[in-house]
Amino acid sequence: MGLPPLVMDHVTKRFGAFTAVNDLSLEVPEGAIIGFLGPNGAGKSTSLRMALGVMQPDSGAVSLFGKPPEIATLKRVGFLPEERGLYKKMTTRATIEHFARLKGLSARDARARAIELLDMSGLGEFKATRISKLSKGMAQKVQILSTLAHRPDFLILDEPFSGLDPVNQQILEDLIRAEHDRGATILFSTHVMEHAERLCDRIVMMARGRKVFDGTLDNAFNALGQGARIAVSEGFDLAAALAPKGFEAQRAPDKGLGDAWRISLRPGTGAQDALRAAIEAGAPIVGFAPEEARLRDVFVSLVGEADAAALFEATPAGEAV
Amino acid sequence: MRNIYLIFRRDYLGYVKAWGFWLSLAAVPLFMLIGGAFAAFAAKSSPVRYYAVVESGSVYADAIDAEFARDEEDIGNQAREMAEGMELTDAQRDQLENSSVAPSRKFIRVPAPATAIDDLRPYLLGQQLVSGPLGDKPLFAVFIPSSDGASLEYWSDDVSVSALRWQAENAMRRLARQQALGEAGLDADFLETVDGGALKVPAHRIRTVANQTTTGSKVTMADKAPVYVSVGLAYFLWLMIFSIIQYLLMGTIEERSNKIFDTLLTSVKLEELLAGKLLAVFAVTSTMMVSWGLFALGTSLFATSQIPGGASLLSPFLSALANPAIIVPGLISFLLGYVMYGMIFMALGSLCDTIQEAQTLLSPMMILLMLPMFAIFIAFQDPGSPVIDIASWIPVFTPFLLILRMPHNPPMWEIIAQMLIMAVTAATILWLATKVYRAGAIHGAGIGDLGGVFKRLFSRKKG
Repeated sequence: MGLPPLVMDHVTKRFGAFTAVNDLSLEVPEGAIIGFLGPNGAGKSTSLRMALGVMQPDSGAVSLFGKPPEIATLKRVGFLPEERGLYKKMTTRATIEHFARLKGLSARDARARAIELLDMSGLGEFKATRISKLSKGMAQKVQILSTLAHRPDFLILDEPFSGLDPVNQQILEDLIRAEHDRGATILFSTHVMEHAERLCDRIVMMARGRKVFDGTLDNAFNALGQGARIAVSEGFDLAAALAPKGFEAQRAPDKGLGDAWRISLRPGTGAQDALRAAIEAGAPIVGFAPEEARLRDVFVSLVGEADAAALFEATPAGEAV
Repeated sequence: MRNIYLIFRRDYLGYVKAWGFWLSLAAVPLFMLIGGAFAAFAAKSSPVRYYAVVESGSVYADAIDAEFARDEEDIGNQAREMAEGMELTDAQRDQLENSSVAPSRKFIRVPAPATAIDDLRPYLLGQQLVSGPLGDKPLFAVFIPSSDGASLEYWSDDVSVSALRWQAENAMRRLARQQALGEAGLDADFLETVDGGALKVPAHRIRTVANQTTTGSKVTMADKAPVYVSVGLAYFLWLMIFSIIQYLLMGTIEERSNKIFDTLLTSVKLEELLAGKLLAVFAVTSTMMVSWGLFALGTSLFATSQIPGGASLLSPFLSALANPAIIVPGLISFLLGYVMYGMIFMALGSLCDTIQEAQTLLSPMMILLMLPMFAIFIAFQDPGSPVIDIASWIPVFTPFLLILRMPHNPPMWEIIAQMLIMAVTAATILWLATKVYRAGAIHGAGIGDLGGVFKRLFSRKKG
């Protein structure tokens, strides 16, 4: 194993009185795919910009491949910024070629690589088309290809799925997996938990500038614990009914028939045990579902309903696939 | 250097591939050609008009004819004077003087077809024609002495053309003088004779004894060319800076609105990005200026080739341009001036999100640029003016005024000191503009945040 592609050590960034990133420590080991999760304004983009040396932290240290971020090291990095932008009057081929050359490829290699990537991604017929003539999704695809053109060792993707339709989100997921299989280390930020669940070895969650979780998906689900959802007729106090049987129940905000309760399951007990206990306690049950833990539940449990709501509100319906 | 080149290349090609660039490039020569052709056509196609003088004798008519003849002689004299200022062989001088034919007259006198204005009316209104050397034409104007003899009335259907009336006024003034001289018992050409006998005041250029022995003291175009060249250089710099405003503003706004800075800054250093962009705009404007310059040079060469010994007209200018005493400080001023102004515009552009926002900046920038233009004008009129001396120490004026002062041999210490001040100012502007650019490009600061940017900059420095 070589040097970790990214280490952020107690990094803090303030804008006036506002602390955008507060004491963030993070290590991205070689070969990992890490999801950087959090609602808008959590400090993800600022952290990534500091990781790349675009912005300097007020305190703490950042190292890329063991060195402070500098242009020579950044040649090994491919970066897709959150705010997409390309030169509108350049053709797709010239765009990829230009960014590849800036990352150190020779003119001939850059041109060959641009053609290869465009053909591979189904944009071959648009080689000579100006960016301004492309749809937003196609332009975004070109920008992603520009990020990959120099075959970087470390890919930093800031909200890569944002603005893509479900089909292109799937294509991008496949592309990320392919880059990972090629050997690239990947760090991507998203506020769509489902992408992280499908792609990541590890997740880092941010809320209000602070890191609130850093671990594997299993760690995350274990932290949440397992549960079951039981809905009863309105007005029935399920918590009081289950307490003598050793189950802890909390009101859940779910809308539906009757009142919803979330039952926390102790190790060694299952959802069926909770259901049986509720029947024995005479609860007027109208609904039951074993809980399938999702990252969003982990996030809710870590940052609370208010921050979680901000995250989920930022996810347009149908964006996640 | 590679990164600077790549940024330069992209920006340069981006600009020169645009239609606007080619339109601008073609516009100046095209307008020059159209303007020149139009002027030549207007001069050639100007109609020859008939006029008549109603009088019993030919006193007034002769006086007006003599006035036209005098003008034609003046044009010949001017050609001779120009030939004297040129380094020509005797044969070339004769050829030049003989070839300087005065333009053909645009007003030809014909006999008056009638004597009373009522009878002349149909001729003046074009209802009847008069015969003349160029065939039958309407009568353009007629001069009729007033009944009391106090004036020579000018009648015409087109009073907007005044050239003929002015000639007649001059002729009558001269005639009155001659009559007064005659009455005083003096010859009619008395005043001309007196003027001819007056002492001449020829201009001589004082030179070192050695130079005077070889060059002589006569004032030639070689003495004036350095001034014209320095004015040309100063104006060229001004024009260049004037034309980069839109490139730098619009180019930076495009990048800011395209949200491309983050991508660029993970590939190149900010300083490389700025240098590449500044060089690209410099190359774009240079391409234009050099193209226009070559066109002007080609046109001049062609024009001078049409004049005997005309090549000697250009050689003093080319010599002045090759003079290190002018061109070296000129180039240094040129580069530093470009960097100073270029960085200011680029930094301001990085703070703008929209073209509308940039347009609000254009007015103050134009005013800022008009000030050196005024200074150039004053310096051309009076290079020794104390205003110019003082203004040349103000860095925003120095690039232009130092170039203008060079033909007048200012003290060496002043040249060096002004260049140093200019270099320090350029470096300071470069530093400040880089900070402003960083604030705009990376932190998204706007024009309204400019005060805050400087405040943070200096408070951080103090801290």
